[in-house]
Amino acid sequence: MFRTTRRYRRAAGSLAVLAAVALTANACAGQDSAGATGGSSSEIHIGAWLPLTGATATYGVAEKVGADAYFKMVNAQGGINGRKIKWTVKDNAADPQQTVQIARELVGQDKVVAIVNANGTSQAEAAFPFVLNQSKVPVLNEVGGAENWYEPPRPGLFGTQTLYEDQAAAVASWAVQDGAKKILVVHSDPAAFVNVAKQVEPVAKKVDPSVRVDRLAVKYQTTDYTPVISKVKADKPDAVIVILTSPEAAAYLKEAKLQGLSLPTYAYAPVAAESTIALAKDAAEGLKAVQLVKAPSDPDPAVKEFRTAMAKYEPGQDAGFLALWGWSNAKVFAEIAKTIKGPVTSQALTAAYQKASSVDPGVSPVMKFSAGDHLGTRSVQRVVVKKGVWTSVGDFYTPPARD
Amino acid sequence: MSQFLLVLVSGVASGAVYGLMGLGLVIIYRATDVVNFAMASLATLGLYVALSLHDRGVATLLGVLAAVVITVTAGLVVREAVIRPLGQGQLFSALVVTMGVSLIAESVAGSIWGNQPKSFPNLIDGSVRWSGAALPVQSLLTIAVAAVAMALVGYLFTRTTLGSAMRAAAESADTARVVGLSSQRLARISWALGLGLAALSACLYAPRSGLVPTALVAPLFRAFAGIFLGGLTSMYGAVVGGLTIGVLDNMAANYISASFRDTFVFSFTVLVLLIRPQGMFGTRTFQRV
Repeated sequence: MFRTTRRYRRAAGSLAVLAAVALTANACAGQDSAGATGGSSSEIHIGAWLPLTGATATYGVAEKVGADAYFKMVNAQGGINGRKIKWTVKDNAADPQQTVQIARELVGQDKVVAIVNANGTSQAEAAFPFVLNQSKVPVLNEVGGAENWYEPPRPGLFGTQTLYEDQAAAVASWAVQDGAKKILVVHSDPAAFVNVAKQVEPVAKKVDPSVRVDRLAVKYQTTDYTPVISKVKADKPDAVIVILTSPEAAAYLKEAKLQGLSLPTYAYAPVAAESTIALAKDAAEGLKAVQLVKAPSDPDPAVKEFRTAMAKYEPGQDAGFLALWGWSNAKVFAEIAKTIKGPVTSQALTAAYQKASSVDPGVSPVMKFSAGDHLGTRSVQRVVVKKGVWTSVGDFYTPPARD
Repeated sequence: MSQFLLVLVSGVASGAVYGLMGLGLVIIYRATDVVNFAMASLATLGLYVALSLHDRGVATLLGVLAAVVITVTAGLVVREAVIRPLGQGQLFSALVVTMGVSLIAESVAGSIWGNQPKSFPNLIDGSVRWSGAALPVQSLLTIAVAAVAMALVGYLFTRTTLGSAMRAAAESADTARVVGLSSQRLARISWALGLGLAALSACLYAPRSGLVPTALVAPLFRAFAGIFLGGLTSMYGAVVGGLTIGVLDNMAANYISASFRDTFVFSFTVLVLLIRPQGMFGTRTFQRV
């Protein structure tokens, strides 16, 4: 009897220690950033949920340091119309349920005036009923998103990211313009990838009606692409478009190189990441993709400003594409917030976004918002891997309209 | 024909990794009644240490050894700190604890080394080519290393005194104690062996997948499928089950659908378990009510 009780106490003790460690780790991971102090008259308090831990932490962590660098730079220069930006970031581990809880904390306790530069489509959708509908707090420049977020426009929801569907349209027209007559789309099998992959055919046929497009679905998170490359070889396409995650695309490219498959390969923005080159190495050479921003190595002054600020405010952090996404979103927010005369409230921000007919962040396409159009852009930047580095090709490009 | 061989050998290489990992799981489970969900995450810590050493110019082989040492050490610390205090027979408590440890280990790895995918070096570069197909030498090495490791484990358990003692303790810890065997010492050896195999399989798998804190979740999932297919208590079953999963996975992807490979593999597993609930090599146990 006593031994059993002692054993349960020990078990409970062990579980309590584990829970404490896990909570501490989470708390450390989810600490606030860009912390300015002062009341609402001297600061603009905004918030975000980001996946700082878990499977998609790659995106959240990089996005955070990029936006942090921008906000720190602006604060060091005196802030926005004399108000410092306080950006409170909380880790949602890419979990929609945790996102709802975080949204309640940010809006209810922290009293943020807007959610800015958060990450995740399903995560945001879980929080919309409370944030957008109930609290009337705007959600601005979320990384992710879907077509139905903007058609029809929802009050308080504004985006800066070219939709994945438009990214697919852009790579489709690029492949056809390069002369491809038979295109194979290799895509992961979850619906989010399938919907994007389906956009290739109509746009490719719009550019050249004689083009044939086939699709090859691959199990999500596949690492062994040997059977997939066999199928691609058997299909004999002129070009391949990959709608995969970055590690999947790298696995595809490595196996293709090993099997001697040398085809023009195109990809959408999630593949145009430094991780693809790090994993695929020389197999990534010549890969063509579209991006939301210019290449981080670009000589453009706006991109140079990003690199300088990253070195100064986030030393040791990777100044790559994902950080540039965060930077770009932060910059768009700041540029629009600057136009507000008087207190920066939720209502003032929503009104300012609706009037922001031309915002040029330099590193990404010019954003054009209006009362009827809450998505700032449909354009992309074409990039190619040259000598192991993503390199911009030409200026921003707007793909043909989708039906 | 060359494509068939290519897909087959590639599947065997994947299956060898699942088999090694499954073997580690079974050894720990049989010795201590713990289904160790933390095994893959602890091996990931070892991988990161190996990669850090490699980046500092240390030979890859020494890095692999370091990965094994780190994984085994971390695993033993976990066992002594949070598993052993639970006592014997606390299957579900131990399960939850290892899940918690797994999350913590992933969080620690992400905090120290970041969450960006990293490339893990091949143990050996190059490829073997025949009639238009090419197979990485790394895959052949994976099969060879896994075969040697499995053979050594088989020798240990069937031909040595230590192996006999470990089997005896696995059958009945109380009886083993009566005949003078230290069950705690044997449990520690089992954990060390199981985690060492996990680290080895991780080093063989990572060059293909790349390294992120959650890199080994997918092979752990398949290793579990392998041990249930082969029989939870059977070491042979873990190996054969893992190999079966790897080969079926690739064959299904090539000849049925690259999208439904999991569906096919797990449908097959369910079918086998319906016919033989104890798995292909497991033994049926009866408990008096």
